[in-house]
Amino acid sequence: MRALFLLMAFGGSLAQWSVVPVLRVGGVTPDLPLVVTVFIALQRGPVAGCLSGFVAGFLQDMAGGGLIGIQALTKSLAGFGMGLLVGRFWVSSPLVQVPGLVLLTVAEGMARYFLLQVFHFPASLGELMANVILPQALYNGFLGSVCALGMTVLAAARKRPWD
Amino acid sequence: MKLRRYGLLLAVALVCLLLLTVQTRGLGPGTATDAVAFVVTPLQSVLVKIHRGALGLWTTYVDWKSVWSENTVLRLEAEHLRFRALQVEDIRQENARLRRLLTLRERLPLSALAGEVVGREEDGWVRALTVNRGQGSGVTRQIPVIAPEGLVGRVLQVRVGASVIQLLNDPASTVGGLVQRTRTPGLVEGHTEGTVRLKFMARGAQVEVGDLVVTSGVGNLFPKGLPIGRVVAIQDKGSALFHFAVLAPAVDFARIEEVLLLTGQTQQDLAGLFRREG
Repeated sequence: MRALFLLMAFGGSLAQWSVVPVLRVGGVTPDLPLVVTVFIALQRGPVAGCLSGFVAGFLQDMAGGGLIGIQALTKSLAGFGMGLLVGRFWVSSPLVQVPGLVLLTVAEGMARYFLLQVFHFPASLGELMANVILPQALYNGFLGSVCALGMTVLAAARKRPWD
Repeated sequence: MKLRRYGLLLAVALVCLLLLTVQTRGLGPGTATDAVAFVVTPLQSVLVKIHRGALGLWTTYVDWKSVWSENTVLRLEAEHLRFRALQVEDIRQENARLRRLLTLRERLPLSALAGEVVGREEDGWVRALTVNRGQGSGVTRQIPVIAPEGLVGRVLQVRVGASVIQLLNDPASTVGGLVQRTRTPGLVEGHTEGTVRLKFMARGAQVEVGDLVVTSGVGNLFPKGLPIGRVVAIQDKGSALFHFAVLAPAVDFARIEEVLLLTGQTQQDLAGLFRREG
């Protein structure tokens, strides 16, 4: 099962390079690996979330050509953090998941920014927040709601009448 | 369990930080960074190839979808245009036929009624056409029926809104005719084979292949000079009293669609009104 989730993380990263350019709206692209990581964490808890976040982030780092380890670390933390919330809050509801995903994207962006500050990243947080992090968080929220809806429909279809 | 979780997180964080440290601080130029690159670059190449493959597949799919829908639209358009072209050609041919019929009608020195063929009977026993002109149009029995090419036949039955025309090649059809070149008289008869024959007396007759046979006007049923057909063969029976010349009818009975019913009478020779070709 873990292998399956790692494969999902890998697929999410691959989709980030192949499908996401098509999904670009007004210069904003969603962070599919993060969405996948969050959903894995919601389903399987902090360990799976952390591992899938690491794999997805690592692959993104490699594809991006920047410092390898930044996104691996932030997405691991995001997956782990989201996994810890399972059972503590009512995270099975899409009404919690979607805003949670938006907040987590913002948190992940900020974490990435502060980590990059160690390596003298030149841009300001305000600019990044306005131009990259917040638009991407909203886009992720939208995608997350679509995924949540899809999963609900899938679950309803699987449910047998006599259950 | 909890400890294991946090242990994993710590391990992951340490790996990441180690990677970052190795990349940024390094152990001298071209050592640690190169080591990471040595491990990462082949993997990156594979990922880029997968990425390109996936992107290529996607682009191919999008292109194919676009070409497919465009092809469907074009195919429909081509079909529509082909249908329109057929319609236009049909109208053009009908227009030409009607124009020729109208020209003939205007030149005829007798009254004539245009009729459209609405039925055909060509089973060997009877060869007839039905036209959409009947009693209400003033059609009577035995009146001649012509086309721009020549004689078609005569009206055999008149109904309320239609008339039945006996064709020249009907086995029961008999028309007085003569060879235009030599004025050799004879009887033009239909045959069960669907052919038309000129029955003439052999003595002194000069009938050749290619001769035009027209109506003789004898009996006042058909006006004189209406083209019947051309001689295509002569069936010489030696000393027999009558000889036969096989005719190719001037009118193609199988394709005729409009006719003129000659409701008036004339003693004039009408041969000059018809085309001389063939």
